[in-house]
Amino acid sequence: MKKRIYGIETEYGILVKDGEFKLGSVDVAARLKNYVFEKKLGALDQHYRANDEPPGNGGFLVNGGRLYLDMGHLEYASPECSNLVDLIAYDRAGDTIVQEALEELGWSEQVSLIKNNVDLETNATFGCHENYLVSRSFRFDNRDNLKMLASFLVTRQIYCGAGRIGACNPHPFRDWDGFTTDDSDAEKVDYQISQRADHIPNEFYRWVQYNRAIVNTRDEPLSDPSKYRRIHLLVGDSNMSEFATALKMGTTALMMELIEQGAANPDWILSDTVAAMRSISRDMEFKWEIVLRDGKTTAALELQWGILETAKKYLAGSANEADWILSAWESVLTDLPKGPEALIGRVDWAGKLWMLREFMKEEGLDWKDPSLKSQDLEYHNLNKKHGLYWCLEETGEAYRKTTDAAIAHSKTVPPRGTRADGRGELVKALMGQTGYLIDWIGFRLNKDEPFLMLDPFVSYKNEIRNYLKRAAPENPLDRKSYNAGPGKPYRMGGDKGGPP
Amino acid sequence: MDMTDPLRREEKKESAPDRHDSGPTRPDVSRPGRDNILKRMKRVDPKQSEKYKQRTGQ
Repeated sequence: MKKRIYGIETEYGILVKDGEFKLGSVDVAARLKNYVFEKKLGALDQHYRANDEPPGNGGFLVNGGRLYLDMGHLEYASPECSNLVDLIAYDRAGDTIVQEALEELGWSEQVSLIKNNVDLETNATFGCHENYLVSRSFRFDNRDNLKMLASFLVTRQIYCGAGRIGACNPHPFRDWDGFTTDDSDAEKVDYQISQRADHIPNEFYRWVQYNRAIVNTRDEPLSDPSKYRRIHLLVGDSNMSEFATALKMGTTALMMELIEQGAANPDWILSDTVAAMRSISRDMEFKWEIVLRDGKTTAALELQWGILETAKKYLAGSANEADWILSAWESVLTDLPKGPEALIGRVDWAGKLWMLREFMKEEGLDWKDPSLKSQDLEYHNLNKKHGLYWCLEETGEAYRKTTDAAIAHSKTVPPRGTRADGRGELVKALMGQTGYLIDWIGFRLNKDEPFLMLDPFVSYKNEIRNYLKRAAPENPLDRKSYNAGPGKPYRMGGDKGGPP
Repeated sequence: MDMTDPLRREEKKESAPDRHDSGPTRPDVSRPGRDNILKRMKRVDPKQSEKYKQRTGQ
């Protein structure tokens, strides 16, 4: 298995439960962000990153990740991680940082942080973006590569989906306009396995807000563009289960490696991935039928078995991490036909479905009861005293890939083995200073030349320490030098979020 | 015991109605923590989804 860099960006939903509460969700997001930086967990940006990202809109954290506001949402981007255990620990460190901020502000009973991707009343959607560093030889101009990847992504939802009540039918090209008057989908669909399936109208496209695609084709490597490509995916759901997050990222990384090796099979290509995304998500008989490009009918489960067998052939034994992914993948494909109860704690849509069914049975409700939407939300509540998912961790039913101690450590210490390590060192030194400019691919202090961190696999830690020694104290940081101002956004790295 | 032993013959019985009119019931599959989960679910504000009001993001 090739060395890989992973990252996850999470847009949190904010539920203001108390009608008398003084702030709305957008203001709560801003206050939480400010509180985290007041706690000295990071250094706020001093410069414009984009026209909608003014100074102070967000900043990098001492753990190498990033916290910021994006389109009214509080968003956390994990630091670059070189393995799945780190990735899960840093993803959950972000959850912990924002939840603790909420609790320390004394708002945890009035406000909930919800790690999901859809407002079930308005059907507004917001994302969980995955980032994978691949070699530049992963060709985007080869359409079959992208189609094989799309076919994998559409079928992986059978174990990666976070589940949701109901359905929606947004206008395919203008979902900001609201929704079609045709509510028949919502009437027909009680529950589906993916939160994002209804919001993905394209197979390939480069936009990230509207017209979302199964494979986002934006080419923004945030690293040396002659060596690397960053695959940035927005098709997946935010997972509560550590197992589901690890399996989602791990299987996708293996699929990319099969494509890089030329071992992926064009026979896996579906005839219509966008249609399959929805039909699989909405099929509560769990048949998950799909039609391949050659016209043959099969099932998502069968296709996933085929990809797994190929991955075993080419990648088994190549690394401990590859072996864990292959074993976890096989276990979940084996258990899927047994029904949702066999998957509780490993597959979010299944755990949530089981809870909802038990609650309906207990209370004598049917799927049309509007209160079930509130239960759906509560599954994703980050507050461990209230959120439903946490019950599965309490009983030991939720598979853990990390530990609470590792998560606590990951709030303030960057991961090893990537440039996040050096960035964490830098952020610690910059707190309380002015006159710096920092981005995923490097930084600049005062009038010095930019310090570039083009290789995400290099920590740059010692180089940054030496650089900072030279900069202080006779060359204090000076804010005036780098106030680019509105209309002149600095574009060292370009992206708002996304670690490569 | 011999295969033709009269003791092995199936005893004929009149069919008896199921004690439940609605047909076979689901097995009682109780899981650890089920009661605790249901307790939490009963405490959820049934209208909280109406208060969520999120903007579309990315």
